[in-house]
Amino acid sequence: MNTIQTKSKNMKTLKLVFSLLVMSFFVTACSSDNEQIDTEYPVIDISASNTFPVQCSEIIRGQKITFRTKFTDNVQLGSYSLDIHHNFDHHTHSTEVNDCVSDPIKKPVNPLLYINSVTIPAGQKSYEAVQEISIPQDIDPGDYHFLIRLTDKEGWQTIKGLSIKIL
Amino acid sequence: MYKTKLNRFRIFCLLFCFAVVSKTAAQSVRISGKVLSSERGSLEGLTVIIQPGNLTTITDKKGHFYFTNIPKNSKSLTINYTGYLPYEIKLSLKESAVLLPDIFLKPDIKELEEVVVTDHFGFRRKKEESLNIETVNSSFIQRNLGGSLMQSLQRIPGVKTISIGSGGSKPLIRGLSFNQVIVVENGIKHEGQQWGADHGLEIDQYAVNRVEIIKGPSSFMYGSDAIGGAVNIKPVPAPAKNTLGGSIDFTGKSNNEQFGGSINLFGRNEKWFFDTRMTVMDYGDYRVPTDTVHAYNYAVPLYKNRLRNTAGRELDLHASTGYVSEKFKSVLYASNVYSKSGFFANAHGLEPRNVDTELHDKSSRDILMPFQEVTHTKISNTTSFQIGNHQLETQLGFQKNFRREWSHYVNHGFMPPLYPDDMYAPHNLERQYDKEVFSIAIKDEFSINKHQFTVGINGEKQQNTINGWSFLIPAFQQITAGLFAYDKIRISDLWLLHGAVRLDYGKIEMEQYNDWFPSEITENGQTTSQYLKRSDDLNRTFQSFNWSAGVNYNPGKLALKANLGTSFRMPIAKELASNGVNYHYFRFEKGNPNLSAERSYQLDLGMEWQENKWSFQLSPFFNYFPNYIYLNPTSQHDIYYGAGNQVFEYEQSKVMRYGGELQTRYQFMTGLSVEILAEYLYSEQLSGNKKGYTLPFSPPASVLFGMTYSPEIKNLRDTYFSLDYRYTAVQNQIVPPEKKTASSNVFNFALGTKLKTGKQDFIISLQVQNLFNTKYLNHTSFYRLIELPEASRNIILSVKVPFLIHQ
Repeated sequence: MNTIQTKSKNMKTLKLVFSLLVMSFFVTACSSDNEQIDTEYPVIDISASNTFPVQCSEIIRGQKITFRTKFTDNVQLGSYSLDIHHNFDHHTHSTEVNDCVSDPIKKPVNPLLYINSVTIPAGQKSYEAVQEISIPQDIDPGDYHFLIRLTDKEGWQTIKGLSIKIL
Repeated sequence: MYKTKLNRFRIFCLLFCFAVVSKTAAQSVRISGKVLSSERGSLEGLTVIIQPGNLTTITDKKGHFYFTNIPKNSKSLTINYTGYLPYEIKLSLKESAVLLPDIFLKPDIKELEEVVVTDHFGFRRKKEESLNIETVNSSFIQRNLGGSLMQSLQRIPGVKTISIGSGGSKPLIRGLSFNQVIVVENGIKHEGQQWGADHGLEIDQYAVNRVEIIKGPSSFMYGSDAIGGAVNIKPVPAPAKNTLGGSIDFTGKSNNEQFGGSINLFGRNEKWFFDTRMTVMDYGDYRVPTDTVHAYNYAVPLYKNRLRNTAGRELDLHASTGYVSEKFKSVLYASNVYSKSGFFANAHGLEPRNVDTELHDKSSRDILMPFQEVTHTKISNTTSFQIGNHQLETQLGFQKNFRREWSHYVNHGFMPPLYPDDMYAPHNLERQYDKEVFSIAIKDEFSINKHQFTVGINGEKQQNTINGWSFLIPAFQQITAGLFAYDKIRISDLWLLHGAVRLDYGKIEMEQYNDWFPSEITENGQTTSQYLKRSDDLNRTFQSFNWSAGVNYNPGKLALKANLGTSFRMPIAKELASNGVNYHYFRFEKGNPNLSAERSYQLDLGMEWQENKWSFQLSPFFNYFPNYIYLNPTSQHDIYYGAGNQVFEYEQSKVMRYGGELQTRYQFMTGLSVEILAEYLYSEQLSGNKKGYTLPFSPPASVLFGMTYSPEIKNLRDTYFSLDYRYTAVQNQIVPPEKKTASSNVFNFALGTKLKTGKQDFIISLQVQNLFNTKYLNHTSFYRLIELPEASRNIILSVKVPFLIHQ
């Protein structure tokens, strides 16, 4: 007798729990939307023959170089930043597989530091970045690091670090 | 997309359908009794065993137990309960119903210190609280000992960690962490630098006696920051009268060659007591099952699988003294927790770095730069007394958290290439945060008829200063105050109602910060040199009203609960005013001075069924934030101080989250039981720039299958062998800059026992974590972003030797 009573009470409470669940289900169902979210990183494509610089590129002081690389994304590109800094202390390495021959470690006197950022025009899935950079005559020659950071509109970022030499 | 969401929810609903249960019919011989202890009265939730046949039952909240169908030839009844001496009584059953005289368990004094409060307490708490609460004690911690307190608690479903290295971690409760989870120690809110993922909680896990984890919003009890949950580390109970004793803990770990331990000494005459402890820990670089990690596409070779420069040290000192009488109790606690630990050397700074591998790999135990040092000092007093029907408690506290991050100077922006000699900060001091906190709280508990009221008021004042050559957040002062009332209404033995309201006020004052170096600024073709202002004088005040309402329904073996409430969190200095590079993640973080206080609405449900041989518990929740504070990765880069790094900005968005935990146990026979612990969480941002995305550090679904065999062996007590298998599902719900994390299968093995030689006890536990040396990634690890696998196989030996000098 006792058992039956508890059972029916339990059934009631189970029903209560279940109805609360159904309620929360509807809350969820309403707020769902069909938008597909973007989880893909943008791509720094250095495969084209006119890409510059590439791993182990050499640059001469006092000249202008033209940075040229293709960027792609599945939805929309965001911006890119370029960063050239010395690697005289060998503090950084590159993201590339092959290594370049580096000079012995030395102290910086007047190293080149170049940082620039460019916002890619809206709506682009593919973009060829072209940028002129003048390399001053009076900077220290040696091993440098050329860092490309590319974001897409959603904030996914891809980094490419290249080892270059300034002669 | 819609379909997958629907499916996800269906699976979620299916979990509930386990709730269909059946009952077994009653039979002839019946035996009943009651279990008590002189200190604690009736003992609930402990196991009574009838031999032969291994029939078991569990005592109810009044300490009663009943066996309804035992064979007439049953010979003995035993109760083995941690913290008490084993109890056995011979049976000779002649009648069909036997009522045994009350059974008084005698406490095992040596262990009292550690286990006065055990399972039965957690069991009762669950039935009396409408929020989801899990309680564990120091034996649980010893059995599951990890590198830090939170890592030792990870077995509890719904509780995960954000770990850094092998010795530090932050609680992650149902996907929320940092300032969204509060940690309370000895009644005082622990105030460190909670906002950072790069260091752990400054808590000594050997000094923890009992931890209560509230998996849900508990702002109405604790104020701002308890929006996601609370980890409440309860004070160690006072020793038994006229005793002098202690314990020695020793722990060794194979993975990071850690050794260390803790020594405890306590004593008490009639009314005065003292309790002291010292914990020392020393560990080397930890090992991972890989020889190369890819830090943001940069391949980093590891030497002998060791994660370069992750060694550390810890030294913790505790002392407390107090006076205890029937109506008055006052305890003074003082502690100092110090740790020094290295950061993985290749992933710190402005970009992944090459390091001097010869220097770093020479020794696996040295701590080179970059490293951090944290000292947390705490002094507090808790006094409780009775006035008539009122149980009052006052709390006064002082805390100082002093954290320094040391790293080689790396100039960026217009910082000079060489570090100036006359700089105010020491050469390699990258960052320093110094926090001083005063807190006060008064609480009154009293009953009127069926109402049990708790009213309280608390206040806290913080002072934060900064130092170092880099800048992330400014110095600030903060004042918070709260007033709350909570009513627990015992309508009948079956029904409990809860209602709470709370008012909060908070004020934060941030100080202006100017760069210590001039930057070149070009305006209208004119280039000038200026000391840039990085953060403004900023004052913000916040008020909040919160409420919570809940119900418990406990018909016998079934326990049901529901709770609905609001919670809030004041934005912190980092969210309002940060403006600098996070050197751990190579990103530029920008605060937003206009953020409003975060608000949350949450529905919590709970169901629990306890039978002799099995138990089942389900705790689903649904949560909505109209203005979740979120660090949004933008598509921009900062070319000045940020050295070209990506800009992350604080924003607010609507967020929906739901999930739950399931725990079930089944006892096949005496000594052999299996359990299944599962958890699931789904979060989605419903507005803002990352609409449709999840939240960062969303733990993937996981299920743990555990098997425990506890044989009765002569001269040994509480022997166990256990095997845990955890399956963690793939995490495809990500938000930049996270990466999808593959599923994993990890096995842990543990065994332990209590050995008695002469009069001396040895409590031994051995664990093999990651038994098969599996290479897997943990989605919520600090180092996940650099694709660092979790630690390789780790053998942990822990021995506890309690002793009694005088009784």
